Amino acid sequence: MEPAAPALLELQRALRASFLSYGDGEISVHVVDAGIGAGERLDIYRNTFASVLTNALRLSYPAVHRLVGADFFQGAARIFIARHLPTGACLDDYGGAFPAFLSGFEPASSLTYLPDVARLEWAVNRALHAADTDALDARRLAALGDAERARVRLLPHPSLGLIHARCPVDAVWRAVLDEDDAALSTINLGDGPVWLLVQRLATGIDLRRMSESAWRFTAALCAAASLVDALGEAPDLDAAELLSEHLAAGRFAGFHLNERPAP
Amino acid sequence: MNPQVAPPRSRSGSIPAKAGVGLRFRHHEEVLESHPAAAWFEIHTENYLGGGSAPRTLDAIRRDYPVSLHGTGLSLGSAEGLDPGHLARVRDAVERFDPGLVSEHLSWSVAGGAYLADLLPLPMTEEALAIVCRHVDQVQAFLKRSILVENPSSYLQYRHSTIPEWEFLALVAKRTGCGILCDVNNIYVSACNHGWQVTAYLAALPPSAIGEIHLAGHAVRRLDGGGTLRIDDHGSRVAPEVWSLYAEALARFGPRPTLIEWDTEVPPMAVLLEEAAQATALIDEAEHGTGRARAA
Repeated sequence: MEPAAPALLELQRALRASFLSYGDGEISVHVVDAGIGAGERLDIYRNTFASVLTNALRLSYPAVHRLVGADFFQGAARIFIARHLPTGACLDDYGGAFPAFLSGFEPASSLTYLPDVARLEWAVNRALHAADTDALDARRLAALGDAERARVRLLPHPSLGLIHARCPVDAVWRAVLDEDDAALSTINLGDGPVWLLVQRLATGIDLRRMSESAWRFTAALCAAASLVDALGEAPDLDAAELLSEHLAAGRFAGFHLNERPAP
Repeated sequence: MNPQVAPPRSRSGSIPAKAGVGLRFRHHEEVLESHPAAAWFEIHTENYLGGGSAPRTLDAIRRDYPVSLHGTGLSLGSAEGLDPGHLARVRDAVERFDPGLVSEHLSWSVAGGAYLADLLPLPMTEEALAIVCRHVDQVQAFLKRSILVENPSSYLQYRHSTIPEWEFLALVAKRTGCGILCDVNNIYVSACNHGWQVTAYLAALPPSAIGEIHLAGHAVRRLDGGGTLRIDDHGSRVAPEVWSLYAEALARFGPRPTLIEWDTEVPPMAVLLEEAAQATALIDEAEHGTGRARAA
């Protein structure tokens, strides 16, 4: 007996379910057999789905890919993809949840630095593809009076990323992508935490270490704290110098003035 | 239905009825430095929706070449509707790059809010036809220009389909005023996979709606179950049978902008230009009537 014709919405949900389960499920009864089974026909699409998304992850996480190897990466990606489907068609935006996934991925638990390398790679990926926005002109801040300046809340440039990692993942990342085994072998994961800033410049990605206090001050500004409150994060800092460095490097795109506090 | 949409604008960036090539990232530097003799370039829209170096490079290339935007993410056939955020990003790209042509696919990719990363086949039903037409209307109204819709390659058909794909595509064009991107390789691949007649497919398409033709290579895959499917992998030169079908299409439709697509193991630009030169020779034959007889 012919199966009842499904509504398009129902059919599309059934095909999505078969992608996630890597099985045919209810979709197969709606597919014409004609000498080649529904499963083999569906496999063409399932394989494209899995390989396109795995490749998108590989492009965003090249150091993770090299660290764990192609087979391990593919296995982890398959599980990740089933749990975290892309919500949009622009695959440069896909995979932001991969670092957190790796944190809880038991087969990778011996590579304690792996999730932090992944977080750095995601920040680099975001920096590469972030929207083009003009940098804040420092003269606009200078033109403000004292009362207005106290109300300033800075807007970070979309390409700016701040990463705090428990070990020197920037060194790991560079050595892995350079395929520099000698450099990799000299890295001591016990060297302690690093405080990193990632930014896209006209010349490419700028990745640099900061002091903990400079990083905390910058992170507070990026979280829309006032300058005074941000300084509270790093009282020992020459904030004026750091702020002018940030502005000269185009790390902020604008600002707004916070509401005056109620009297 | 049939909304008031602007006809394709005549502008300096309009796509000529010559053979262009698909522009991929590996060609950016070469195109900027050596200005290869390509008639025009087509890019995948979704690769240029963010910021950074890729769109900036395309800005520079666009100053020297006509460019077409070919999308894979609008999911015209999704029952749950279009993603307005994605549509807005496509519009921004259209405004930025001022392309000669904008195209999408007769397929779907989004279900339950998730992008399934492939051009998935639609059942050829009245319901799907109404949904695709509604979405093409929405896209054209939003972009304020007409688009081309491309026939996909497919590896399965649904039992409840009632309309041949060639009629479905012609009806979408008739009801929405959109153009057709006739992918000759896709017609050949799908026809082999499903036992269709390629000549009947071409004959069903209204020549006046054909805005562009695609050419690409495909693979023949032998399946574990003993069957064979042709796979549209864009990973080789155009097959001889597809060149023949292309000549037949040109005889029916007249000279049209034609694209060489290559996405797997992308070769040097010189190889793409060789393929484009072959297409251009067939366009010239069609134009001057020196080759096959023109269709009556």
